[in-house]
Amino acid sequence: MQCEDIEGALVSEGLESLSGAARAHLAVCSSCRNSVADLEAIAQAARSLPAEVEPPARVWVSLRAQLEAEGLIRETLPVPARVRAPWWQPMAQLFSHRLLAASLAGCLLLAAAVLELRRPLPGPAQSSAPASASVPVDDQLFNSSRTLNEQEQDLSNMIQASTSPVDTSLRQNLKDLDEFIAECEQHLKQSPNDQLAREYLAAAVQQKAELLSAMIDRGRSVN
Amino acid sequence: MGVFRPGRCRVVAVGLVLFGSGLLFSPGAGAATQHLEKHYTVKGRPVVVIENVGNGRIEVKSWKNQEIVVNATQTSDKVSVESAQVGDRIDVTSSLTDPSVQGPDAEADLQLTVPEETELQLKTQTGLIYVEQVTGDMKLESYAGDVHLKEVSGYIIVRTTGGSLVCTQCGGKLDFESISGNAQILQPSLNAINLRTTTGNVLFDGDFVRTGLYSMKSGRGLVEVRFSGNDSFYLNAQTATGTVDNQAAAYLKVDPNVVRHMASRFAKGLFGTVGQGLAKVELSTYSGTIRILKRD
Repeated sequence: MQCEDIEGALVSEGLESLSGAARAHLAVCSSCRNSVADLEAIAQAARSLPAEVEPPARVWVSLRAQLEAEGLIRETLPVPARVRAPWWQPMAQLFSHRLLAASLAGCLLLAAAVLELRRPLPGPAQSSAPASASVPVDDQLFNSSRTLNEQEQDLSNMIQASTSPVDTSLRQNLKDLDEFIAECEQHLKQSPNDQLAREYLAAAVQQKAELLSAMIDRGRSVN
Repeated sequence: MGVFRPGRCRVVAVGLVLFGSGLLFSPGAGAATQHLEKHYTVKGRPVVVIENVGNGRIEVKSWKNQEIVVNATQTSDKVSVESAQVGDRIDVTSSLTDPSVQGPDAEADLQLTVPEETELQLKTQTGLIYVEQVTGDMKLESYAGDVHLKEVSGYIIVRTTGGSLVCTQCGGKLDFESISGNAQILQPSLNAINLRTTTGNVLFDGDFVRTGLYSMKSGRGLVEVRFSGNDSFYLNAQTATGTVDNQAAAYLKVDPNVVRHMASRFAKGLFGTVGQGLAKVELSTYSGTIRILKRD
């Protein structure tokens, strides 16, 4: 058997079931032996990789909707009837991982903040509302900010752990953002229709969501 | 697992390439300063992707050759630098073998020489990103490291948490966002700028391209614009609780219909034109200062 035959043998027979002829060649050919050793190392590394996670069904629904909207597919594919666990079970499993839950919450808040930014400007009648009017209790922006604060509290132990320059810098930036958000919120309580202040608050809330997400990622990679 | 089937051969081949390249770049245990060099021949406009998970400086300069040279310098074996080529894309990754390592042991400086027209995607943690004389779209991301650009052009996206941007003689379109980083735009030929920082400062010192769109915002910092007497732009400067310091009253023809342009009746603002008002310049701050002045 020659060197070029070894590749074919690997493809057809696999690493663990090489023929006697192939093994005899490997015994005398250091080049092929090194190649097989590399392949074995890669196979070993691949075994240690985490198993793939099947994305939730809503991802496929969303993807199909997007493809249909873009005209890339035209047929509505039949959705197979599935008798499965209650609808909330996959969500519960998804959120059972605390860090993932925090990341997802951050993404949701990010989306909420973006939606808030895209809200139309208040009309003249709204602009002339009394400056001392109280902030609506269902104000999405304030709710997002509050939820982020709760998330920050939950994560405080993890994000306080590292003393690296990067983490120190991230914490300082989080502190700066918190102060700025508090300043904007205080102003908006006095002047709820100040659109410029709302824009800055929305941008800061979005930045905070992204920053917390980055800190979670870093904490996950270090811990 | 362990049995290689035909469908997996391509993956294995790529794996081998990466594996082999990684070996070339890994210094021996207990190594002192290591200098590693790798050459890649490319065609057309290559893409360089660098992820520096450790710390250290990334420097990218250009030359006339269709070749990319990657130089890595490290003082510790706690950092692993790997690079690989797939077509015209070069991937360089610097990572820590021990995530708890800090300080100089976590540093790997990367120095690249690339063709003048190269697309860049660079990501680092605390080290400086320096790019000089490169034309092409680029996305540069850093947590705490600064980003210095000199004579670059293209669609330039810069994202930092605390790092600052200094952009000298840049062209094309610039999009910068940071929490506490500053942005200095010096002698630009940029025709579109979007700068946003929450607590940092913004300085624009140069000419406005006549068809350009410029937006510069800082939550708490100073937004300063130094324009030339030949410029032609329409200015919209607004603040919620800060101040507008107009030191160019002699050159700025103030728009009397100020209220019409205000984002809300609570904002304070300044609207006017310099020259014919061709470019559009929007400046804003929440509680900082907007300063407008003409260069000598």
